[in-house]
Amino acid sequence: METSHTLAALTSQLLVGLSRAMILFIVSSGLSFILGVLRVPNVAHGSLYMIGAFAAHTIATAFDGSVAAFWLAMFCAPLIVAVISLVAERLLFCHLYEREHLMLLLFTFALMLILGDLTKMTWGADYRSIVAPPFLQGSIPVLGTAFPRYNLFLLLVGPLVAVGLWLLSSKTKFGKIARAAAVDREMVGAIGINVSWVFAFAFVLGCLLAGLGGALVSPTISITLGMDHSIIIEAFLIVTIGGLGNIWGAMVGSLIFGITQSVGVMVLPQFAIVFPYLAVVIILTLKPTGLLKSVW
Amino acid sequence: MLQVENLQKSFADFKAVDGADLRVGQGDLVAVIGPNGAGKTTLFNLITGHLQPDKGRILFKGEDISHLPAHQVCRKGIARSFQIANIFPRLTVFRNVQVSVLSQKKLSRTMFRPAHRMVVEETRQILERVGLNDQQLALAGSLSHGDKRILEIAIALGNEPELLILDEPTAGMSPDETAATMALVQRLAREQGLTILFCEHDMDVVFNVATSIMVMQQGRTILQATPEEVRQNITVQEAYLGGA
Amino acid sequence: MIKNILRTPSFLWTAAVLLVLLLVPFFAGRFYVYILAVVFVTGLLAMSLNLLVGHGGAYQFHHCVFYGVGAYTAGLILAKTSLPAWVGLCAGPLAAALTGLVIGAFCVRLNKLYFGMLQISLGSLIWIVALRWYDLTNGDDGIHGIPMPELLSGSVNAYYFLLIVVSACLALMYLILKSPFGATLRAVRDNPQRCEAVGIDVRRHQLLAIVIGTFFAGVAGVLFVVLEGSVFPDMLFWVLSLEIFIMCLLGGWFTFFGPMLGAAIMVALRTFVGSYTDYWTLILGVVLILLIFFLPEGIMGVNFRSWQRRRERRRSADAVR
Repeated sequence: METSHTLAALTSQLLVGLSRAMILFIVSSGLSFILGVLRVPNVAHGSLYMIGAFAAHTIATAFDGSVAAFWLAMFCAPLIVAVISLVAERLLFCHLYEREHLMLLLFTFALMLILGDLTKMTWGADYRSIVAPPFLQGSIPVLGTAFPRYNLFLLLVGPLVAVGLWLLSSKTKFGKIARAAAVDREMVGAIGINVSWVFAFAFVLGCLLAGLGGALVSPTISITLGMDHSIIIEAFLIVTIGGLGNIWGAMVGSLIFGITQSVGVMVLPQFAIVFPYLAVVIILTLKPTGLLKSVW
Repeated sequence: MLQVENLQKSFADFKAVDGADLRVGQGDLVAVIGPNGAGKTTLFNLITGHLQPDKGRILFKGEDISHLPAHQVCRKGIARSFQIANIFPRLTVFRNVQVSVLSQKKLSRTMFRPAHRMVVEETRQILERVGLNDQQLALAGSLSHGDKRILEIAIALGNEPELLILDEPTAGMSPDETAATMALVQRLAREQGLTILFCEHDMDVVFNVATSIMVMQQGRTILQATPEEVRQNITVQEAYLGGA
Repeated sequence: MIKNILRTPSFLWTAAVLLVLLLVPFFAGRFYVYILAVVFVTGLLAMSLNLLVGHGGAYQFHHCVFYGVGAYTAGLILAKTSLPAWVGLCAGPLAAALTGLVIGAFCVRLNKLYFGMLQISLGSLIWIVALRWYDLTNGDDGIHGIPMPELLSGSVNAYYFLLIVVSACLALMYLILKSPFGATLRAVRDNPQRCEAVGIDVRRHQLLAIVIGTFFAGVAGVLFVVLEGSVFPDMLFWVLSLEIFIMCLLGGWFTFFGPMLGAAIMVALRTFVGSYTDYWTLILGVVLILLIFFLPEGIMGVNFRSWQRRRERRRSADAVR
């Protein structure tokens, strides 16, 4: 009786960790993609995640919280984020592509500062939350434990996004050009491709993923103003241990993050959050450039 | 003085150096020639420690230096100049050479004495020797192409080397500049008893200056001999010199 | 060297500014004295970053970790042990430098962006420990009411102590940057490959620079504790690291006093603009964007190149004589 009880708890925690990892993956894959193509860590990535969550809230609660509104929110919030990032990119960011990487990094930091305050201005400092549609609420029994349906939903969406990204980057023309531009931007420019647009697409796609992550996570946490700060560190760490620019690395890193945190919850609940960080230190001691090969 | 035995280096699937042999005696002026892509610069990078060989040995004055990192190879008495002018563009000409001299005198980490008063004589002497004395306050990035190559050599001289390796010292120079540079190189070799190893594409330069020539093709040493013997060698003629 | 320095205009300017600063508490209110003290601390932190980034070319993305380590070490020793105060004050920079050595040893193995990302990762671990280890560090609340010796209590005493310490640190930094070590550091910044080829062990040189820079960051952290009597986990948070970057950018990367000027402007803006609006961060973001586009060499950097040339000419003339 005892063993099956602990086994159930273990499974439950692990599954929660895995679903959390899916959100982390969606967000950090966007970061990794931008890093891979533009070679810049997008510090504003967390802010876009946060805006995705807030936007999803606004849309979902606009129509009295109907089911349709929820799905509309999941669909539109990432698009809103994509538009915001496109505006920022075309107006300002694209003029900096010839500059030193440090300048690009500082620009994304400025963007984070501005978007953070704009979010505060638009939505205020209150906590918000949204509720998932009824058929995603509640839980179903999995391996002897009650597993929340929404988390199961996340476990399906995550790999879908991964496969979608993989198809995009290896099978489509855009993907191949993006990968080429990551390695040798001058060469790509020299064969007549407008590198600036490649960067624009890559940046917007990465930010869209951040917004998607924010929208998807919103029923599971309270939406607050500090969300940008907390997610960006985790995304940075995941991208670093996974291999800079490597999407599969982002998956591996996210899984490690999610699982080690679950282990932490079971072993030392007060310090659960430290476990992923320790894993990061161990991994980086052994392989400073990350587990998988960096894209460049 | 320098002996390279069956050196090999691959990058992923590409075998850049595939069995290179080289012998440089004291006081020699050895030239390495070969078509583009023959592996000359890779060979130099291996000798100076910027790359590590997969197989083979490099012996300097009897000591195996095959796997030493670049800064330790330099301390053994080997200095080099680079194919693409590899100077410190934001520092003055004087400071460019001074950094090298400071390193040689092991003063690079001194912290509480002003740099501009140190090793001034030695730095100036080197600049005078190469003829850059009147430009010592110019920013290195603003020099003409030819002067940048000479600055390259000056920086290398700061290390008081016994063996000076020059990677295409006259690349991109006019005939006048080429002649002047090679005259400088020969004068330095004579005055300071330097041994010189260089690679070049300009055949006039090679045959006028070198005491021994090593021919490379596709990463391999085809032959090393005196200029006369190389000129008369059929294989070399066909492969590289394009017929007699 | 001392005689030559005493004659230069820069020294006279510096002496004048120093004199004014010494007299400030006599004619300014406590608030302004406090603000200036904050400028000293922040300025020292920014200067220590510039040593590594502007002069050393390192991607030091999480510099404030060392600031925080220095502050927490001093704060913990002073608040939780009965060791004499000077032990805590001296232990801070040493702990910071040690942390710098350890993290630096990891990071110098890598280049550029990897260096930066790795440092953010390792630094974040320290942050999360400070945040979560409630029993030791009081977590999110931070430690308050840290006892200070009589000599250093009160805003005027703290002001003078900070002024003296910061001036001494800046003088040290100046000597270091003008020495062969500094010249070689700048050469490493511009062309590490060439440095290797002239016999410089680039990694060891960078590591040494990191230890020095993080030591001074630790001093800044200790000075913060003296001034405020508190420590917070936010001192270890990466947003602060990037803010210090902005100060260096604002003041001028490759100049000596640039970062100090940048810090002064930032503190002034934050204090005065921040009192009018809740959206100081937005303004900071806009200022940063303007800087990036229009003034990337910073305020002092504008005149830097011609100033640098004049200096080198004068100095080499001295050397030749």
